[in-house]
Amino acid sequence: MSDRRDALTKLFSAKGAKVDTNRGEAYYEALMNRMSARLQSLETSNLAMKSSIERALDAQGLTRRDFMKWASAMCAMLMLPSQFTPLVAQAATLMNRVPVIWIELQDCAGNSEAILRSDAPTIDELILDVLSLEFNETIMAAAGHQAEEHLEEAMKTFKGKYLCVVEGAVPIGAGREWCTIGAKGETFEEHLKRVAKDSAAVVAVGTCATFGGVPAASPNPTGAVGVQDVVRGKPIINIPACPANPANITGTILHFVLTGQIPELDHLNRPKFAFGYRIHDNCERRAHFDAGEFVEEWGDEGAKNNFCLYKMGCKGPMTFNNCSIVRYNEAVNWPIGSGHGCIGCSEPQFWDKYATERPLADSRIKAPTGGVEKSVDEFGLGLLTAAGIGIAIHAVASASAAKVESEEA
Amino acid sequence: MAYKKVKRMSLFMRINHWVVAICMVAAIATGLYIGHPYYQTLIADLAVDKYVMAWNRWIHFMAAIIFDVSSIVVAYLYFFSRFEKAYKKLIPNGENIKEFGDVLVNLMTLNRVKKFDSTHADSFNAVFFFIFHLMLLWMLLTGLQLYVHAFPHGESSIGAWWPTMLHLATDWTVWITGGTYMDVRISHHNTMYWIIAWVMFHIYYQVWRTLFWQEGDINIVVGGSKFVKEDKEKSN
Ligand code: HEM
Ligand code: SF4
Repeated sequence: MSDRRDALTKLFSAKGAKVDTNRGEAYYEALMNRMSARLQSLETSNLAMKSSIERALDAQGLTRRDFMKWASAMCAMLMLPSQFTPLVAQAATLMNRVPVIWIELQDCAGNSEAILRSDAPTIDELILDVLSLEFNETIMAAAGHQAEEHLEEAMKTFKGKYLCVVEGAVPIGAGREWCTIGAKGETFEEHLKRVAKDSAAVVAVGTCATFGGVPAASPNPTGAVGVQDVVRGKPIINIPACPANPANITGTILHFVLTGQIPELDHLNRPKFAFGYRIHDNCERRAHFDAGEFVEEWGDEGAKNNFCLYKMGCKGPMTFNNCSIVRYNEAVNWPIGSGHGCIGCSEPQFWDKYATERPLADSRIKAPTGGVEKSVDEFGLGLLTAAGIGIAIHAVASASAAKVESEEA
Repeated sequence: MAYKKVKRMSLFMRINHWVVAICMVAAIATGLYIGHPYYQTLIADLAVDKYVMAWNRWIHFMAAIIFDVSSIVVAYLYFFSRFEKAYKKLIPNGENIKEFGDVLVNLMTLNRVKKFDSTHADSFNAVFFFIFHLMLLWMLLTGLQLYVHAFPHGESSIGAWWPTMLHLATDWTVWITGGTYMDVRISHHNTMYWIIAWVMFHIYYQVWRTLFWQEGDINIVVGGSKFVKEDKEKSN
């Protein structure tokens, strides 16, 4: 990876994902004042606003009460004391004042889809809908030169103020020229660098944009990497998962609206409020894990009894994300709840190393030296067989030809 | 012709050896279960009452802790043992390299050539055990890295210093093994096989020495001593 991204800081960076939630009154008072001032200035700013959350809520038949319930949950998620709820609500109504330029690179648009395609949108999703989206290839009407003009104009108007949201991996290897965008044939890398340059911060949404994701899976024909490997000198927030949870995207943008700053990040630049939890620790099947009750095969008695999915390849023990708490689609369900193990989609290299659908011991993984894929146990048994054969040969040779020290030497 | 008894391991060292051996068996049996639960929970009880995986993990961690403590003691003995200060045999000077070669030649020529003093622990022995202790240390570091994932909040029942210390001591294993937690786990699992291979050769070699050197080597780890021929004692 390009200059081994601050390798040294990383070495000693994982202070744990703890967010201090008790910093004393003085701290929260100052924070509240800062936030109020910021919201005030946003309110009076003449930045773009096309739609409003009030109208969007109305259209969906959601009440003010629903909205306030959502705001207090979001307040807790951002690990703020409850007196911040009104500010969070106010910030949500001002989300349309923060211009967003949303670009897509090597991806399936799954993150956009997760937000846009629900038949009963959640408030998280509605809020993302009313964002001041200045540019988004997937949903905008313009195309070709016209679209490029839009982009230029948005970047000029909101210079230094917009959030650059990136979905998709950046090909920088031999295959980068297969991916160009626009009439000028700009490569994805050039495109990203140009848009990121004048942004206030870059938000990498989804695992492709954060760590390369599926496009970067072995053998990675395009040399795909994440945004943080390409963009320098800008605050970068990673919101991985496949797709990223709309609640976490909203939370992060809301945090930016509230404070003008990015939230506390962990060693992989993921917001701690969202990625400070291990799936396994908050999983409803955990009692079955500890008991040793596992689903052995899809649809067996264990599956009917909601046993632990570890033997079906669940990687919850090595995956950090809040899906076991926040879940998806307004907390309706999440992968493990619906009977499939976690595939570790918010971790780097998840496609090659986590999503094997088997416990680690049985996963076929490339040896460090390359070559054939083997499971660790196959490799281990090979090693032990070789050792056994070596010992056997030596033993047989010794038995027939070795010199035994005699009594009178 | 007379044999002379030489003391090689103190009672404490022998106990340490067997504790390590038992822990090894326990760690392998439970580790393999953790990696791929290979037997079914056959107790018709509620999940809250039986802790088959939890016990396996408990035994694994207990074996690990005993291991860790014993390794620290062994590391101490490398330098300060009354018997054989192993580090002296690890320094790659001419004498040690020659001795290492001679012992290897002895093994390869099926004991037809024996040009070293087998009274004391030799260089080959020291290097062989050093490799083991390095592997054990690696298991310790990767194991503790896997373990610290259970403290994402940075707290533990004995305070925040514990996970903090574990992060400081073991986070580098993630980057060394390939950048993900899965790599650490793969390495932890793989290293187990190298350790088993090591144990296979270790047992074979001790028996082989006993059979062909005829100096009662196997007793070193039971009674604490072995025998060497008087005249040889003198000639060396
Ligand atoms: C020679 C000694 C050891 C052996 C042979 C051994 C073996 C194993 C094996 C085979 C696994 C399963 C890995 C997998 O496939 O997922 C495992 C897991 C693990 N080991 Fe060890 N191990 C040893 C020492 C240690 C030590 C010193 C620690 C330190 C605390 C440790 C902590 C762990 C942890 C935390 C796990 C993962 C358990 C889980 O996530 O539930 N191990 N070990
Ligand atoms: S289903 Fe996965 S996350 Fe849940 S307890 Fe089992 S292994 Fe852990």
